[in-house]
Amino acid sequence: MNEIKNKVLDVMSAVFDMDIKDIPDNAAPEVVENWESLSHMNLVLALEEEFQLRFSDEEMMDLLNLPTIISIISGILEARHE
Amino acid sequence: MKAMKYMKYTEILSLNRELETVLKGKKFLIALLSNIVVNQLKEVLELELRQQGINAEVIVGEYDNIVQDSSRLSEVNAVLIFWEAPNWVEGLNARIMSMNVDEISALKERFESEIDLVSKNLQHTPLVLFNRFSSLLFSTDVLRDGPLSLLCRQLNIVLEKSVSRNQLVVDINAILAKVGLGAAVDFRQFHSSKALYTINYFKVYASAVAPALRAAAGRSKKVLVLDCDNTLWSGVLGEDSESGIQMDDSSLKGKIFREVQQILHGFRQEGILLALCSKNNPADVDHVLNSHPDMIIRDDDLVAKKVNWQDKATNLRELATELNLGLDSFVFVDDSSFELGLIEKELPMVKCAQVPKNLSEYPALLSELKQDFFTLSPTAEDGRKTELYLQEQQRKKQAAQSDSIDEYLASLELRLTILWDEDIPISRAAQMTQKTNQFNFTTRRYTEADIQRMLEDKDYTSSVFSLADRYGDYGVTGLIIIKTDRTSPSKALIDSFLMSCRVIGRNVEYAFFDQIVLSLQQKNITELRAEYHATPKNSQVAQLYDNYGFKRIATIEGRREYLISLADYKPRSIEYISINLKGN
Repeated sequence: MNEIKNKVLDVMSAVFDMDIKDIPDNAAPEVVENWESLSHMNLVLALEEEFQLRFSDEEMMDLLNLPTIISIISGILEARHE
Repeated sequence: MKAMKYMKYTEILSLNRELETVLKGKKFLIALLSNIVVNQLKEVLELELRQQGINAEVIVGEYDNIVQDSSRLSEVNAVLIFWEAPNWVEGLNARIMSMNVDEISALKERFESEIDLVSKNLQHTPLVLFNRFSSLLFSTDVLRDGPLSLLCRQLNIVLEKSVSRNQLVVDINAILAKVGLGAAVDFRQFHSSKALYTINYFKVYASAVAPALRAAAGRSKKVLVLDCDNTLWSGVLGEDSESGIQMDDSSLKGKIFREVQQILHGFRQEGILLALCSKNNPADVDHVLNSHPDMIIRDDDLVAKKVNWQDKATNLRELATELNLGLDSFVFVDDSSFELGLIEKELPMVKCAQVPKNLSEYPALLSELKQDFFTLSPTAEDGRKTELYLQEQQRKKQAAQSDSIDEYLASLELRLTILWDEDIPISRAAQMTQKTNQFNFTTRRYTEADIQRMLEDKDYTSSVFSLADRYGDYGVTGLIIIKTDRTSPSKALIDSFLMSCRVIGRNVEYAFFDQIVLSLQQKNITELRAEYHATPKNSQVAQLYDNYGFKRIATIEGRREYLISLADYKPRSIEYISINLKGN
């Protein structure tokens, strides 16, 4: 889980152009200044590339804060191992 | 440097930010206008160009404001237009199926006038790239055109007709084919955010259009340097001997090298300079070039040869000096990883390419490399380029034999022909402003439309010269653009003054300027101002206005202003340059 979180933070740091330590645990568009609609699109693309996966339409709509992003990605990766 | 196609999007973002702080020099501004969301292209295209040393910045226009944006853009170096026909009207891709003929033709008329307007609005931008309209993303028509395909086809005809010479139409279907439709398009964000294309697509798109942007930035490649053994022919000359190397139809490898030589010969015809850099005995290679029955590339196709046993980095440096060209205009092809590694390390500004292990891929590699040599205004001069450089080398030999430089110059029998205003070849004049970096006082880049406009404007007086000598004709190689002051017609300013590097060192700039001054005096101009804008490349003209007798009147941040009262001008009257005046 931590490994996934760290990777997500790396991606966010690159996409939002900010230090990892400045990204709060509850990161979401409301609390992260650079997280707006365009950079959200970039975030989704970068996450897909990083984790080598493809979100469904529904998952895309749910990727709205750091905890949910981590849980959706973990879910996809776990399902892969089953 | 890692090629962008192997980089993750996050790596692209980070490296692009890093390069932004590293690159200095004048910004190359590109406006990106679109009616869909293509914001990710910004960083991808910036990085593509920044990796090649161009300080590029992409400004993304307002969403779906192409017509409006096109009317208020100024000071940008290039404009790129993503006009997605299927999104021209909200949901058009689906709605068009149920539209009747009148509705479609009304739409078409509206689009046509918009295309025409945008093209006109941007006729003075140095470079405009329109994407060709495509229905590929939305239609699966194969057997018969559907309404969307038909509309795109008709609009493309209009687009081709509307574009002026500074405007190119990008074959977007060719790019889509390269990426593959499935990998190029992502519909998940289309309905919510009007985004259509993948990062992958943008990477391929950026590298496909980069040559045009590089040319607009005056940074296209000029020289293709080739190794010999297993690069120009199959086999190793020193081991297999002349009869053992192959470039003919009798073997598979020979066939490929024959095709390679044919491609290279075509390059030369288009104005790409070919040179050799090979570790071999020079006499052996010369013998092959002159006598081998199957060779297509011959000695006179090559602008220079470095066939010796010294290291190739030294050879390339010497070639650059000999040809008076920057190493950043070189592309180097070799089969040896060792040689390529050396050049990549020693001369990172030289673009390197390796002969593919699978030889069948070699011709395609060369076609790909050709893009780097893209020029915006191809002219009749291009095909003669190799010849011109070869003549130059003969002159240099003669120079080495002459005792004094004046004696040498006199022996050349220089003939200067001066053309004025309406006699000026427009595309050559524009090309010179785009390509000349060294002997160029203000480095203002002009399109053909700009030149045309100045020729029609009474406030401007322009002149070009061509030069010939006993060895041949250098062609049109100098340009001056002078603007008279509308309010006080006895005053004028030199807007641009430039000369091709192939005629430097012959005192032509003095003979030409004598004539310019004479002509201005006949036009009752008494006071002439001039400017020198320092760039990393034009230091060689830093003192020339001083030499002409101009006075420095101001210097602000690398820009110097000069003034001369023409009554004080002292002509050099160089006697060994004969002058032929035409027009005026």
